[in-house]
Amino acid sequence: MGLKQSFLNAYDRHYKMFMLASAILLLFCLGFLLYNYATTGEFIKKGVSLKGGLTLTVPTDEDLDTSKLQGFLQKKLPGDVNVRAFREAGTVTAFVVEASDVGEDATVVALKEYGINLEKGKYSAEFLGSTLGKSFFRQMRIAVIIAFIAMAAVVFITFRQLVPSLFVILAAASDILSTLAVVSLLGERLTAAGIAAFLMLTGYSVDTDILLTTRVFKRKAEGGSIFERTVGAMRTGLLMSLTSFAATIIGYIFTQSQTIKEIMLILSIGLVFDIIYTWCQNAGILRWYLEKKERAAQK
Amino acid sequence: MSKLKQLIKNPRVIILIVTLLICLYAIRPNPWNEGVVIKAVVRNSTAHLAGIENPKQTLPPMAKEKIIALNNEPITNLKDYYEKLGKAEPNSTISLKTNKNFYKLGLADSLDLGLRVDEVPTSNIRKGLDLQGGTRVLLEPESNISEETFTLLLDNMRERLNVYGLADVIVTEVRDRPAILGGGKRLILVEIAGATEEEVKFLLAKQGKFEGKIANNTVFSGPDIKYVCRSAQCSGINPNRPCGKTQQGWGCGFYFAIALSQEAARRQADITQNLTVVNVEGEKYLSQKLELFLDDAKVDELNIGADLKGRPVTDISIQGGGTGISETDAVNAAIENMRRLQTILVTGSLPAKIELKRTDTISPALGVEFLKNAVLIAVLALIAVSAVLVIAYRKFSISIPIIITSLSEITIVLGLASIIGWNIDLAAIAGIVAAVGTGVDDQIVITDEFLHKGIVEVTRNWKEKIKRAFFIIMASYFATVVAMLPLWFAGAGMLKGFAITTILGVSAGVFITRPAYSAFMRIMFGE
Repeated sequence: MGLKQSFLNAYDRHYKMFMLASAILLLFCLGFLLYNYATTGEFIKKGVSLKGGLTLTVPTDEDLDTSKLQGFLQKKLPGDVNVRAFREAGTVTAFVVEASDVGEDATVVALKEYGINLEKGKYSAEFLGSTLGKSFFRQMRIAVIIAFIAMAAVVFITFRQLVPSLFVILAAASDILSTLAVVSLLGERLTAAGIAAFLMLTGYSVDTDILLTTRVFKRKAEGGSIFERTVGAMRTGLLMSLTSFAATIIGYIFTQSQTIKEIMLILSIGLVFDIIYTWCQNAGILRWYLEKKERAAQK
Repeated sequence: MSKLKQLIKNPRVIILIVTLLICLYAIRPNPWNEGVVIKAVVRNSTAHLAGIENPKQTLPPMAKEKIIALNNEPITNLKDYYEKLGKAEPNSTISLKTNKNFYKLGLADSLDLGLRVDEVPTSNIRKGLDLQGGTRVLLEPESNISEETFTLLLDNMRERLNVYGLADVIVTEVRDRPAILGGGKRLILVEIAGATEEEVKFLLAKQGKFEGKIANNTVFSGPDIKYVCRSAQCSGINPNRPCGKTQQGWGCGFYFAIALSQEAARRQADITQNLTVVNVEGEKYLSQKLELFLDDAKVDELNIGADLKGRPVTDISIQGGGTGISETDAVNAAIENMRRLQTILVTGSLPAKIELKRTDTISPALGVEFLKNAVLIAVLALIAVSAVLVIAYRKFSISIPIIITSLSEITIVLGLASIIGWNIDLAAIAGIVAAVGTGVDDQIVITDEFLHKGIVEVTRNWKEKIKRAFFIIMASYFATVVAMLPLWFAGAGMLKGFAITTILGVSAGVFITRPAYSAFMRIMFGE
């Protein structure tokens, strides 16, 4: 138990360092998103379900050279073409072609030229008109903003104190933005399912932050130092994140559905960030705020 | 043993058990179900004439009629059905036994009975398109059309898709903004399970061809019908043929006015010129009937009043009737028949320029795999979660109630989805995952309030402990629900399934399983 004790000692004594580290991490992620925005005009590349275009999912059992196929299709077809392999428990089970400006027929013809013959009914095709895709994205963005504001309102009503509520919102926002940065860094594209995942993540993230704030801030009268109450909450919170992580990572590895895989990836990354932002950022900032208030009260 | 007794007598546990039983009854799982289910009956086909009814789409899957024997030979699955049907001779009579009735069908030259059948369902859970394969298209009317025309367009599409005897067709209106915010754009969502993209495009691309024929001569087609009255002034229950008692029950007549083009009126006069007048039940009609065809399939026939013979009239009154056991039934039947006829007649005169905005085709093979896979993942995830819990609490018994709670929540969500007729698709599965995940988190909060001594040693009674745990649980519950609400509408309901199942799941958790779990903790560890 020596290791645990020394970690707790460091966590107690250097909590401001932990806070600083999480702030640097956040700045780094924000920087990456801004860099993306400056160079490409968007924070993250959008998938077909949010900008319109075609998605073909073709089951396969051979390991395809996706970059070669992508290069070939880019020459053959107009607009943006993206090819990737879909893996299930490590082995390739399907490949996915996304094209922004062409229809199914032209893509099937191009694939035939490459030597891949597609049989009707053996693959899935999704097509979304680009104006509708763009309006979907706009609405989704509004939906996410409304959801976030509504969630903030619930948090505020729960604690009836502006500052601790703002800390909760800050932690949730940091979690979402950092996850967005990493998902973008991994070259994934944001889809409608991804947006659902981010909202799910906000829920999980707010859960642990509410737990922390309740135990540390709302139950001040119950005795124990701020640090002791933080550690008590942390045991519960870490277990919550760990069980969720165990489930999402299994979902990520074993699923056959692209939709579920994307959701699980976002959740898994987000849960790791949630641990950092709840127990380094939110816990630290809350302790700092409460200790300052206590000192002011003593004077 | 007394603890178990206490547990079973606890009202919160009883509520959970009763809810689970209701949900299981709603899902009605039966993996050994045999036969083939009737998904649709083509109008005027052999099967339809034999009295087999087209099932309502709103019927729960297990309540649909299923064929259990053909020519007295039992049928267990789809392959069986086609094999046995293949042995039947043309121009013979075959018998079909269903779980509801017994039918005799006179076969014509072909073996097409006009029945669309499928493997029997094994539960009432409706699988969404991405779990069973099929095509989904989103359409947008090109110009701004009135509320009334839009509804008519929807009805008309339903009627036309029905003519083809397509199984599992959903035609609904979706809006991309909630009604209180102005409703936004109006779109039409058509989902056809088991159909390919070509089939759907073919059906929808056609404007819909409507023809009225007398003695096989076309009198009018869609564009000839200039006006179909649907207002109370010129349509409704026929005042000249009011409702009255018949031998079997009640009968009512309806009427509505239509306006034909001059050419159609002249054609009508020419054709009816040579017809004779006959007497049917005391009324004078022409010897030939007016037959209505929708996309070359006969959908209805009407008697022609004797006074129309040889007269080029443009304004004519369409009349028909409906019967029922009571007067109200008969009125409703008449009105329904009238609506159907109006819907058919209006085909072609609709401003039906619709634009294909989105199509998704999911191959059925992928769909089946997704479902098997989802079950596998659920099992693996539950094992992983319990492993983490056993390691953390060093108590094997802790993981059992948490697993039971998770399974209960899945059952409740699936049960509620069966009751409200909601489809379970990939988005819904993601919603269930979210709800169960939040559930496990909440149970950890409850467990820690009970078991965790912590650094701060304070003794509290169980009531206080439950109250403390529920403060955190309720706060995160409301946070989750408000976050899901905007998704209900955004993107033409793309993520509605996710939002609905998440809200259902977390609500079931907070109001049903969580109280039962805390009762369990109190009885096992509390006192």
